[in-house]
Amino acid sequence: MSKLEEIASAVERGKAKLVPGLVEEALGEGIDPLEILNKGMIDAMSVVGEKFKNNEIFVPEMLVAARAMKKGVEVLKPSLASVGDVSIGKAVIGTVQGDLHDIGKNLVCLMIESAGFEVEDLGVDVPAERFVEAAADPAVKIVGVSALLTTTMPAMKNTVAALNAAPNRADFKVMVGGAPITQEFADEIGADAYTTDAASAASVAKAFVVG
Amino acid sequence: MERIPFRKEELISKREGPNMGRGAFPLFDTPISPRENYLMFLRGEEPLWMPIARDSISVTPAIVRDNIARGFVFEATPFDPNKDGGGPDMFNVDWEWVPQVGGSMVRPGAPKVEDITEWEDVIEFPDPDSWDWAASAEKNRALIEQKDVLFGATILNGLFERLISFCEMSPALVSMIDEDEQEAVHRLFDRLADFYPKIIRKYKEYFNIDILTFHDDWGSQRAPFFSLDTVREMLVPYLKRIVDATHELGVYFELHSCGKNELLVPAMIEAGVDMWNGQPMNDKRMLAEKYGDKIILGAAPVEITDDYTDEQVRQSCREFVEFFNKYRVYGGYASSPKHNAKIREYMYEFSRIAKCGEAK
Repeated sequence: MSKLEEIASAVERGKAKLVPGLVEEALGEGIDPLEILNKGMIDAMSVVGEKFKNNEIFVPEMLVAARAMKKGVEVLKPSLASVGDVSIGKAVIGTVQGDLHDIGKNLVCLMIESAGFEVEDLGVDVPAERFVEAAADPAVKIVGVSALLTTTMPAMKNTVAALNAAPNRADFKVMVGGAPITQEFADEIGADAYTTDAASAASVAKAFVVG
Repeated sequence: MERIPFRKEELISKREGPNMGRGAFPLFDTPISPRENYLMFLRGEEPLWMPIARDSISVTPAIVRDNIARGFVFEATPFDPNKDGGGPDMFNVDWEWVPQVGGSMVRPGAPKVEDITEWEDVIEFPDPDSWDWAASAEKNRALIEQKDVLFGATILNGLFERLISFCEMSPALVSMIDEDEQEAVHRLFDRLADFYPKIIRKYKEYFNIDILTFHDDWGSQRAPFFSLDTVREMLVPYLKRIVDATHELGVYFELHSCGKNELLVPAMIEAGVDMWNGQPMNDKRMLAEKYGDKIILGAAPVEITDDYTDEQVRQSCREFVEFFNKYRVYGGYASSPKHNAKIREYMYEFSRIAKCGEAK
């Protein structure tokens, strides 16, 4: 097994204690840091996402995989600094006003970050104006809006309406998700995309940015 | 029990069911009481009809602070969650009542337990012996003494939900599989498996319950939170102790577990759970065929929506009873507020006829 495959395997299995050492070894062997990031970790998280979609693994396994990747990225960061900004764009993600649920939003943050985005987590119970304010950052390519309950769907509608009225609307895509949300609802309120799970959200976000 | 055939006149109500603080409701003129029928069904005997909505009630009295914190007090005295919901639960975790959601949550960001491996330093277990159960029972005397419908109590915040309330959702999920944290979770669930039966015994002693509903959500709308293996390792041993302690009291055990949890039904069976009323996104036909002889399932004609005509509602209920009548299934969540009363009536009528025939 190559060093990159070892890293990928450790990330997939969520071995947070192993990954930093393996990344150090890979750097010591002269492997390109970008290669370590992309092939060793981001690709591994894509596999994790696919397995999650297919119910081969569940939320805890996805969380520990993302945690393992994070540990690896910490070791990699100084080496990546020399090649400049490696993020493929910035994503801002939050749960709408009146809704305190965070697990779906947290998973989307993790998977989007693991796909190569810089992520700003706006938290829960986020007013529409806060989404618009965050989206004003020219680096923002994706705005993720989450709602878990039918009762907070109107807040999602208001939030997307406010984002759609933003002067820089052409600069970012609005993605929505959450238990009661459907493609029809996403279309009706004018979102650019709806996905059913966090792994699909990461794939769609990446496709928006890198094509 | 005599198989008394169904008469149309049974649908004309002659008495009301118990008042749970929101007004009483009409009962059908059943040949035996809904409670008697339900108990036959729970004992594994053939009931005279498929137990349906309103054939049972479950209290969540204010004496258990969790019920106030969750804004979910149902007992003889009316409770307004918008006024009194939220606040500390029995473990002193603070809940916030969110009016537009119609429920309470622990606001994320400041968990009571920062590090699950050190929960013993932070968590103090309550003492149910020090609560005034006699006064609570007195307040609910009419509910307790009624024998019309099956009578139960619900414990909110089961094992996993308690863990979430202590340390938030993501850390709770990780701790279920993280080798460095699992031992602490085992210790917590072990204590909880000793603790919950104390409350259940109080419910039996003071409220004389027939059934205990234990609330522990295990999944999201698309999948369980965790694998069957994780549930078997982390939850089943402790849930089984709670179920066994409940059964020792002669009380039935219903698990309330939201989410698409079909994959976890084997774990429920292994824990000895009598009934599970899963949400509509679970494939109840498949589950009834696969596990119908091992666990009682709640099911309903969930395809019915408010835009159905009365004839369509009747047809859906007829088809539902035709399929589910041969299984140990009771009428669970229906999906149409507009038609719920009619769904209840048709389910009663068709299942009475299916089980006992119709009087000429």
